[in-house]
Amino acid sequence: MSTTRRALLATGAALALARPALAQAAAKVVVIGGGFGGATAARALHRGGLDVTLVEVNPTYVSCPFSNEVIAGLQPMAAQCFGYEGIARAGIRVVHAAATGIDGPARRVMLADGGTLAYDRLVLSPGIDLRFDAVPGYDAAAAERMPHAWKAGEQTLLLARQLAAMPEGGTVVLSVPGNPYRCPPGPYERASLIAHVLKTTKPRAKLILLDAKDSFSKQRLFQSAWKTLYPTQLEYVPLAEGGQVSAVDPDAMIVRTDFSEYKADVACIIPPQRAGRIAAIAGVADRSGWCPIDPVTFESRLVPGIHVIGDAAIAGAMPKSAFSANAQAKVCADAVIDLLAGRAPESPKLINTCYSLVAPGYGISIAGVYHPAGGVLADVEGAGGISPVDAPMSLREQEALYAADWYRTITRQVFG
Amino acid sequence: MGAIDGRPETEIVEALAAYRSGERPASVMSRIAKGFSDEESRAIAAYLARQGRP
Repeated sequence: MSTTRRALLATGAALALARPALAQAAAKVVVIGGGFGGATAARALHRGGLDVTLVEVNPTYVSCPFSNEVIAGLQPMAAQCFGYEGIARAGIRVVHAAATGIDGPARRVMLADGGTLAYDRLVLSPGIDLRFDAVPGYDAAAAERMPHAWKAGEQTLLLARQLAAMPEGGTVVLSVPGNPYRCPPGPYERASLIAHVLKTTKPRAKLILLDAKDSFSKQRLFQSAWKTLYPTQLEYVPLAEGGQVSAVDPDAMIVRTDFSEYKADVACIIPPQRAGRIAAIAGVADRSGWCPIDPVTFESRLVPGIHVIGDAAIAGAMPKSAFSANAQAKVCADAVIDLLAGRAPESPKLINTCYSLVAPGYGISIAGVYHPAGGVLADVEGAGGISPVDAPMSLREQEALYAADWYRTITRQVFG
Repeated sequence: MGAIDGRPETEIVEALAAYRSGERPASVMSRIAKGFSDEESRAIAAYLARQGRP
């Protein structure tokens, strides 16, 4: 349909008069979700000459990257918050309303305020929903006692306050879900920075890190740093040693595993996750709760005309990160522009780089390059990997600076 | 290396090749450059060289 539209545009006034509704505008793309993925996609689609509407329920975006630094008191919350003025100034229509329904065959989005938006193509970048049905005892109410802080905002501040108020010699329990989940190295960065807080302000306190798996991102780098920096503060319990949480009791502040029971002064429970709710409403999430996509265009394998990017997508070897979402958004936008113009999108290459801080001034990273292969996004062999395990402190300092530079650059690019 | 927008194409192509070979030390670019061919490096360089120009 949109190809027709663009063709009509090119053929001039006679047809335009005959078909006024079709001739007057560029193809319409609606983007739902104004995070690192959606906001990037909206900008790239707009630059490509399309009529773009960005639907985001919140007036302010709170960034998850660097929110662990807020929890540790190393970064003010204000540095995490971004408005949509810059995006509106770029000429993109921003609608602050909840999307409540999607009619795939009719290509229409329904909004909570009763409005509807027609689209030629839809881009969903809904991020994650926390599964409050996965850990017995852990529901939305429990999260007020035992914050997940896995969507930045009030939860981040709650965990920061709880840590600051924790008694000397207290116990923090932090639990990590199995794969896949948002920001694979994030829980270990969080554990590191909490251990740093304990070491510097409550040296007798302890952090117990309960993990539902036995291996994790940048594991050798984290564990070698923990041994040096936090030998008495941080105890890691992998799955094989009973790290999987079987239930929580928020009133008693108890975290249970199959083998043991931990009494916590502060408990941070990161539960399993799924794609943001609108994905299921749109019918683009499969039984895993995540969204299968074509690795060239990010178009849903389940509903044509809908593209899914960022944490919600099943992106093969690519981790769920802000960096990935930003890269996927640019590739997806190019594909949408090509498809609407009747061109075949080119096979892309995408990059991800994730920095983690294990202490202030001590950064480590993992990088990867990805391409479509065998119907999924696969690692480009020979590229990527983690920072060297045996590296001088100067490299760790440099990577901590690069982490901060990356954050400044990407937030300016996306929201500035 | 500083800002890369608007740098001459040849400089970017050479830098990517040097990162790839390990001749130029780096924290992360050596890992990323290995994911791209010479031809792709030239396309990247052409794109970057166009940025930040009036």
